Formats: sequence, C-alpha cells, structure tokens
Amino acid sequence: MNARNRELLGLVPASLLIVAGFGAVFLQERTQLDNLSLTYGAIFLGLCFAAHLIIRVRLPDADPYLLPIVAVLTSIGLVVIYRLNETLARDQAQWFVIGLIAFAATIILLRDYRVLERYRYLIAAASIVLLLLPRIPGIGQQANGAYLGISLGPVSFQPAEFAKIGIIIFLASYLRDTRALLVSRKRFGITLPRLKHIGPLLLVWGLAMLMLVFIRDLGSSLMFFGGFLAMLYVATDRLIFPVVGFGLFGIGAWFFASTVGHVGDRVSAWQHPFDPKLYEQIGGSYQIAQSLFAQADGGVWGQGFGQALVSVGDSPILPAAQTDLIYAVIVNELGLIGGIALLLVYVLLIERGFRVAVLARDSFSKLLATGLTTVVALQVFVIVGGVTKVIPLTGVTLPFVSYGGSSIVANFVILALLLLISDRARREARR
Amino acid sequence: MLQPTAIVLQGAFLLVLFLFVAWVVRSTLRDLRRPDEQRVAGPPPADATGIHSALTAGAAPSGPGDPRLVVERAPGHTPGMEYEIAGGAVLGRGEQAEIRLDDPYASSAHARLVLQGGRVVLEDLGSTNGTFLNEEAVNGPQPLHQGDRLRIGDSEFLFVDS
Repeated sequence: MNARNRELLGLVPASLLIVAGFGAVFLQERTQLDNLSLTYGAIFLGLCFAAHLIIRVRLPDADPYLLPIVAVLTSIGLVVIYRLNETLARDQAQWFVIGLIAFAATIILLRDYRVLERYRYLIAAASIVLLLLPRIPGIGQQANGAYLGISLGPVSFQPAEFAKIGIIIFLASYLRDTRALLVSRKRFGITLPRLKHIGPLLLVWGLAMLMLVFIRDLGSSLMFFGGFLAMLYVATDRLIFPVVGFGLFGIGAWFFASTVGHVGDRVSAWQHPFDPKLYEQIGGSYQIAQSLFAQADGGVWGQGFGQALVSVGDSPILPAAQTDLIYAVIVNELGLIGGIALLLVYVLLIERGFRVAVLARDSFSKLLATGLTTVVALQVFVIVGGVTKVIPLTGVTLPFVSYGGSSIVANFVILALLLLISDRARREARR
Repeated sequence: MLQPTAIVLQGAFLLVLFLFVAWVVRSTLRDLRRPDEQRVAGPPPADATGIHSALTAGAAPSGPGDPRLVVERAPGHTPGMEYEIAGGAVLGRGEQAEIRLDDPYASSAHARLVLQGGRVVLEDLGSTNGTFLNEEAVNGPQPLHQGDRLRIGDSEFLFVDS
C-alpha cells in the first residue's frame, strides 16, 4: 500500500472516534442515540479527506501518519469540548476548518519552504512584535496575571502561538549558518564559541526572555527556551550547551519565582495544593487540587462520558475545563486508560516529527523539523505535567485537543511545515 | 447514571483509539526493521555531512575504501561518470584543474579535495560563486561523508566512499 492510501486509511479511525464519542455523549445528555453523530463523523471525514487531497496533489511523498494522528487528536478534542459545552464545540469546529484553510494555504503558497530562510530577520522581528502586542494598552488583555491575548474588534487571539513558529524558523536558519562556527573554538577543553558568533542568538534570546517576563507566562518561556536548547544541541552535538542552558533557566525561574508575585503563587500552589489556606485563596491551588481530585476520581476505566462534574450552578468545579484542564476531564471520564491512549498518540506524533528531522538531508530542514517537533512536545509536557502536578501549572493549550482558535490554527501551520519538509526529504531519499 | 449503550460506545471509542496506536506503532516498527527501507531512504543520514559534521571532523575515520566523485549533472560531463580522488584533486574551469568544469559559474581554481588523516576534505579556494555541500555554502575545510552532494554552479557531484 503506498503512502497516500495508507494516510487515507488512517483517517477512518479518527472519524469512527467522532461517531462513537458523539454517540456516547448524546446518549448521556439526551438519553437517546441520535443519527447526528453519524452526520458529524461524515462531515469530519469529508474535511480530513479534503486535507488529504491537498497532500496527495502537492506533497505525494510526505509522511503518511502525521495527518491521521492529528485527525485523531482533533476528534478527541471535539468530542470532549462538545461534552463540556455545545457552543464552544461549534466554535472549535469552525476553528478546525479555519486551521485546515491555514494548512492548505501554507502547503500551496510555500511550495519551497526554504525561501523562509531569506526572510529570517524579518520573521524574527515580526515574531518579537507579536510577542509584545498583548502589552499594548487598548488591545492587550490580561488573564490570570499573564498577558497573552489581544483583541481586535470581534477577534481575539494569542499571538505567542504564531510567534513560536517564527522564532523556530529564525533559529533554524541562523543555526544552520553558524553551527560550525559555534564549535570551532576550544578553550580549556570545553567548547567556547566567540561572542560574535553566539551574540546574535543571545540577543534574540535575551529579548524573547525579557518579553516573556513582561508577558509573564512561564509555560511559554519554558517551551521557547527548551526548543532553543534542543535545536542548539542538534546543531552542534555538544552536551555543554543544553546543560548550561538548563542551569541558566533554572536560576532565572528561581529568581522570578521569588520576585514576581503571580509566579511565586503558582509555585507555592504546586508545592502545597491541599493546604486549606492556598485552596481557598483566589488564584491559589484550587485549580490544581480539583484537577488531581478529578483524575483520581476517574480511576482506571473512567466515570464515562458526561460524568465529570465540571461546575455546580455557576461556580466551577474544574476551572478552565475546556483549555488548561482538558486532560483532567479526559482522565476523569475515560480513566487512566484513556489518558494513556492520548499520551501514546502524542508520543507517535513526536516520533513522526523527529523521523522527519532524521530523514531530512539539509541542516535547515533538520533543524526546523527538530524545533517544531520539540515545541509541540514541550507544550504537551508543560500542560500535562502541570495538571498532574509534575511542574507548576501554567496555562498553555494541549495541542490540537484544547479549545482555542489561535492554538489550533498555529498547530495546523506546524503540521503543514512538517509535511513540506517530509515530502522533500523522502523524495530526495528515494532518488 | 450510565446507559449500557453509552458504555459500549465508550468501549468502542477506546478500542478504536488503541487499535489506531497499534497500527501506527506496527508500521513504524516495520519501517525501522526492514533492511530495504535503508535503500529506499538512501544511505543513512548520519553518514552524510548533515548535522554531525562538527563532531565527526576529529573522529577516527573507518578508512576510506576508494573515494570517488560521481557526476550527477554537469555541463560537458556524462552523468554517472566517476573521478578517483584518492590523491586529492582541484575542481575548476582552469587548465590546471584535475576535474575540469565547463561551467560559467566556476572559477578557474574553484575548490580543492585533499586527503587529511584518511578523510577527504573539501575546501573552497576563494571562488566567486561559492561551493555548496548538501546545499550549504562551504566555509573553511569540510570533511566529506558517504552520500554527500557537492555543487558548484550548475555542476553537481555525489561523493562515494566505498
């Protein structure tokens, strides 16, 4: 079976998930099975088929598993969001369609993605502006102490989601040129690059970090910095860079935890989620504690669709259930077994992403695929780690699953880029 | 209250999810195990001067068998033609070049291949239009690896080392 037919076959399970999931939710909420779940499954299959056709025409050699994996994640997200709130699910479905349009546009307009290299400084500058936008009075919005969203008339979005792609493109292009120079000088047995070679990188990174302090979102800053270190490691093959980098990040995080109020609150909420004082406090440990209760309540097999107690009247039992805590809702309703299945699907997505990087022949493609995959992987780690109390909880979305327009659209652009790289790599490898 | 049908549907949901995971894992493992995937995917990328050249530059080579440059496409050359380069060679448009390039973008002495410590090293000789190794401009000496592509103007060569 060739790659494209394999991909088409892989879209069937995603549609079956929609049918079974919506069917179960309908039964729970209206006590009757509705043919509507079949209709939704068919519409979903149709949309995925459209994406498949674009790949079939434009990228015949691309990795066959990326699209089905993303379709499965999206279908899980749609079912769980629908179960939480019908209106939000309708929004999310619209965002899914817009995401597919962005996906198609990226593939069609960016026939040769290597032209991105030519505009790297423009892309870097635009990304930094995007990161800064939420702090501009009038259009910026503050939520839970972090400045993430901006609103322009009826549309509000999170520019950091798009900035991350731009910064990865810049870093891939810059590291491609300088990676040999970064390791060319040794002093006292360790690699010490000259300041003029690492300077621009440090400058952009200092800027990005500084702005993240302004934006005050530690989850995103961990994502950015982790992605940067992964690319630096792949580019130079020197363990010293990530080791020193994580050390610096640790010092920085400790510094901000002890000085920036809302970061410090997050850390103490993480350390003592069941402390009655923190639990009652506004912005305290209520969210993380409730998330842990919900997951424990799910047990191995889960409580069943529609059974999670999300809110009583107007007071939320699981705050931000459709975004930050969606993983907790899934574990509550589908159990440990469902949570494991979801994480396995993410592992597969990341494996395919790194495989694209391994197969790619030129350094820019390799670094770009590595960076994009690492950022998605770290995003899953930051939010799943947050709701399971591995690290302090910060609000980032679970890629392709959480409710959130910017996140869906940005992640579909990442998918399109990975497929573009994969198509070129596999075609060259076949020659 | 859970409806029995809902439980069945939820079971089906999880079953489909796990079957999907198993399907992708099985195909991935088969791809990894199948030896001819290596051939489909060309030489293992780790061997090419992709991302690891910075490290392997100083590493002991496995001993080049018989280093050759294979013409992929080049004005005035037949594709598939091979040049022995065990003794080093200069590529260029000039009379002295061992590998003559009939390419308007090539300088007279464009680039040089030398044997250093059992490894073939590519060096640009200050050419006007640059030398490209796997589509990356060559800056300073670069050790070559099996499967590397060398490009000067419109001329492209494949480095073979066995």
